[in-house]
This record gives sequence, structure tokens and C-alpha cells, in this order.
Amino acid sequence: MPALVRKTLGEYGRALVGWTVGLSAFLTMYISIWSSMKDNPEVFTETAVAKYPGALRDLMGGMADIASGAGFLQAIAYQLLGPLLFVMCAAILGNRAVARPEEARTLELTLTLPIDRRRLVLDRWAAMLLGLLAVALVTLCVVAVAGGLAGMGVPFGRILAAHTGLFLLVLFFGTLALCVGAAFGRGQAALAVVGVWGVAGYVVETLGRNVDAIAWLRWLSPFHYYLDGRPLYQGWPAGDYLVLLGATAVLLATAVFAFERRDVGV
Amino acid sequence: MTAVVETEGLTKFYGPKLALDDLALAIRPGEVFGYLGPNGAGKTTTIRLLLDVIRPTSGRATVLGAGTRDARIRARIGYLPGELALEGRVRARAYLDFVADVRGGVNRGRIDELAERLDADLSVPMGRLSKGNKQKVGLIQAFMHEPELLILDEPTTGLDPLVQQEFLSMVREARASGHTVLMSSHVLAEVEHVADRVGIVRSGRMVAVEDVAALRERAVRRVELHFDAPVPREAFEGLPGIRDLTVEGASLRCTVDGRPDALIKAAARFTVVHMVSAEPDLEEIFLTYYSEEEAAHARAGA
Repeated sequence: MPALVRKTLGEYGRALVGWTVGLSAFLTMYISIWSSMKDNPEVFTETAVAKYPGALRDLMGGMADIASGAGFLQAIAYQLLGPLLFVMCAAILGNRAVARPEEARTLELTLTLPIDRRRLVLDRWAAMLLGLLAVALVTLCVVAVAGGLAGMGVPFGRILAAHTGLFLLVLFFGTLALCVGAAFGRGQAALAVVGVWGVAGYVVETLGRNVDAIAWLRWLSPFHYYLDGRPLYQGWPAGDYLVLLGATAVLLATAVFAFERRDVGV
Repeated sequence: MTAVVETEGLTKFYGPKLALDDLALAIRPGEVFGYLGPNGAGKTTTIRLLLDVIRPTSGRATVLGAGTRDARIRARIGYLPGELALEGRVRARAYLDFVADVRGGVNRGRIDELAERLDADLSVPMGRLSKGNKQKVGLIQAFMHEPELLILDEPTTGLDPLVQQEFLSMVREARASGHTVLMSSHVLAEVEHVADRVGIVRSGRMVAVEDVAALRERAVRRVELHFDAPVPREAFEGLPGIRDLTVEGASLRCTVDGRPDALIKAAARFTVVHMVSAEPDLEEIFLTYYSEEEAAHARAGA
């Protein structure tokens, strides 16, 4: 492993452990509620539907089958909160790839080592990828094991498909933060872009389903390629996932292109 | 002999602000070059251009025979930034190991040797180090691979006098092994004891490049002589290089430009009981240069 990738993973270590523990605790807690719900599905479905009227229900991903194993898992792990937390983790790591060390002025010494700019961006990105992959693998195990113990009855293949989508979504947003940081060197800007695109993308994808005026915007939403294929129910939406991967590659290429051409730390 | 560092018409704008104006610089192999100027004159801008941290608006620079964009040459450069920032959570030892890995072929024993010489503690997270101790870590990473070219931006900042001495001897050793050093400072006193040549930059322009030995030669000295009996003023009047002569009874005061030879020979005819000669103040000579250059520049501009 290149020295810079190893070093970057070391920098991310503490954050990675924290986020892994936090996400796993969050998932375990919610999945454990499931066992108390599954015995009276009608009551819970009614309560849930009554609690979230109209548009709000759309925003929560429908919730029509919250009392089924797949519906519950989708609602708590893969719809809103799971991606929200995991995307935050990715944005923070992506931000620490270039923008944060540049603002702290520690990037200057790294740049003056015999590492060219392209390698620097790619190595930092690779470390982020490996870090996010580790978090994704641990949380995948947590969902599979806790879901199995709670008797959710969702096949592992479907969980794997959904979790892969989650990882690709999160990798996209992490790369977005890295890209804005590499292009402008401003951490606040990177987080703002992730926040705005993330929230707007989610709202457009969930509400846009029923509002024709903004339906076309769904094509611009990363969440569209993550949620639309309903992997937890229907398995691998290969085309959608390839779009996410392609978009990530474009962002990474942009990051390298921009970082190779600008002054650092001015 | 080709220059180790060579720039031509190197110019840098930050937005509309001109930071470096048409800089021509040639640093010869094996010399210690003192790069002087007040804060904000363009020293750090020059150095960051040489290391490709920032890019010139126009002009070009070559370092160790290659363009600054070539990342490989940076394995042969040791760099100490002017505003050294180190990652707070990382231990100095781990950081130096990383730097050694990236550069490749660094003798690890050298890190310990330097740490011992500078009395640096490598076992604590770098965020907890004082300014002076951070600077030591910065010096170790710059010197540890025995680079052909050392670029040191205000290297003595925060170092206590003992460590400064040790640092200066490290610079002398680097020169002794044929390496080249570019060292910036805002005061001449910091570099005059190691530098072979000094260049002065002001408002983004190089205003003078001088040989330190030649400067000494031209140095202005205040000399006081005391005799055992009153001496005649005429015996000292009109001597070459003597100015501001005052003779009061048995004592004489004057200013000597360059060699004091004529004065000594004139004084030898009397009995000298006491002699005081102040260290030449190179700073003063430099300031004279500055103002002459400035005046010339102003005339040209008018």
C-alpha cells in the first residue's frame, strides 16, 4: 500500500471507528425494535401512516409496508436516516482529504514531498474509499446478523444489493466533498455543496415522484439512482449503480484536473 | 557549472496584487545563499514557487536542472516552511517515518542522530509541542535525507540560541558535503555567519546580490585609539579610507571604510595603549544599499 494511503487511513482511523460504532449501534437498536412490532403489523402500519400525513409520508419513502421485514429495514436503514448519517461520515472524510489540511496549512509539507498532485489526490481518495468500504462491510454484517436474529426474513442477497447501493451513494458524496475541496481548498464550501445537493436531491427524489413539475429534476439526484431501483425488494439495479459509479469517476477526474492546476494554500 | 536554482522573469500576482516582480536568481552549487528582505517582500512567494506549491503568473524556474513541476526532484530537496504547521494528533516519530517512506532510501539512524543533536522529543503528538520544538521536527524532516538542496524559510524562528548554533553547524556540514542551501531571513545577522552570498528582495524585486566576504571588505568600522601622550591631528588627516576624524588629546576616533591598514601604520609611529574596533555592522551596509537602490529606482520612475 502506498505510504500516503497508509498515512491517510491512520488519520481517518479515529473517525472511522467512531462512525462504525455509531452506525452499528443505531442499526442494532432500530432493528431490535422490529421483534416487538412484527406481532401486530396492522396496528403499527396504521399508527405509522397516521403519524405521517401525505407529503411527509412520501418523504419517508412511503411507509406502506412498514410492518413487513423489508419495509421496516428500508424505512430505518436504507431510506433516510441510514444514508443521512453515512453521507455525513463520507463528507467529513472527503473534506479531510484536501480542504481541511490545506486550511490547517499541513498540506504544504505533503506537497513538497516527491508525490505529484495527481497521486496525492488519488491516494487520499483511495484511503477514503477503503475507509468507507470498511464502515460499509461492518454495517452490512450488523444488518444481516441483527436482521436475521430479529427474524426479518429479508434474503442476504437483497440486503447486499441495498447495502452496495448505500456504499456507492456515500462514495459519491464523499468524492463530491473531496472534489470541491481539491478545486477550491475550502472546507465550508465542500460541506455546503454536499449538504445542499444531498438534501435537495433527497427531497426531489421522494416528493418529485408525485409532482410533475419537479419530476425531471430526479435525474440530477444521486438518490434517484440509489432509491428508484428498490434493491431491497427487487435486487440489483445494475444500471442505476453504474450511473453512481460513473458520476463518482467524473468527480474524481475533475478533482485531479482542478488540483493539478491551482495554487495551494493561498 | 550550472546553477542549482535558476529563475528568469519570475513573476507572481495574487489577484491584482503583485507579489514577485520579474525575479532573476541563480544559486550556485555548493553555496549558502541568504535570501533577505522585510516581511511581505516576496521571500516566501519565491520559495513556494520553487517548490511548486504555487504557480508563477509568468517566467520560469528550474531547480536541480529540472522544471519545478517535476515531482521527482523534490526527493532531492529538503524544505522547511516559514509557517510550519504540523498535524496535531500525529506523533513526530510516525510523521518522520512517513516522510522517510515517501522519499525512499532514508537512513533511519539519521533521524535519531538529528533528534539527539537538536534535543527533540519525537514521542509526543506534534500538537503538544512548543513552537521551538515543532521547528526542530521541521528541521529534522528537512535535513534527514541529506538533500542536495536545502530550502529553509526563516529557519531559526523560535529556536533557542544553543539550538541555533547547532542548526548553523548543520548548515555548514551540508555545505561541506557539497550541498547547496537557500535560506531566507528578515535580518542579515541571522545568516551572515554561514552565507556566502546574500540577496535582498524588497516589494517583490531583487534589489541587490552581494558576496558576504566582499561586504566585510567594504565594511564600515568605528575605531578608537588611545595613546600614552597627545597626538597631532595632522598625522592622521587625509589617510585613505578615514572619515569623521576627531582627535582629543591622547585619544582618536574615526570611521574606517574597508581596510584599516593606513590608520594602523600611521598610529604605529606613536605608543598605542588601547584600541577599540567595533564589529562591522553588515546590516548598516545593507540598509545603505537599500536606500541607494530605492533612490535610483525612484529617479528612474520619476
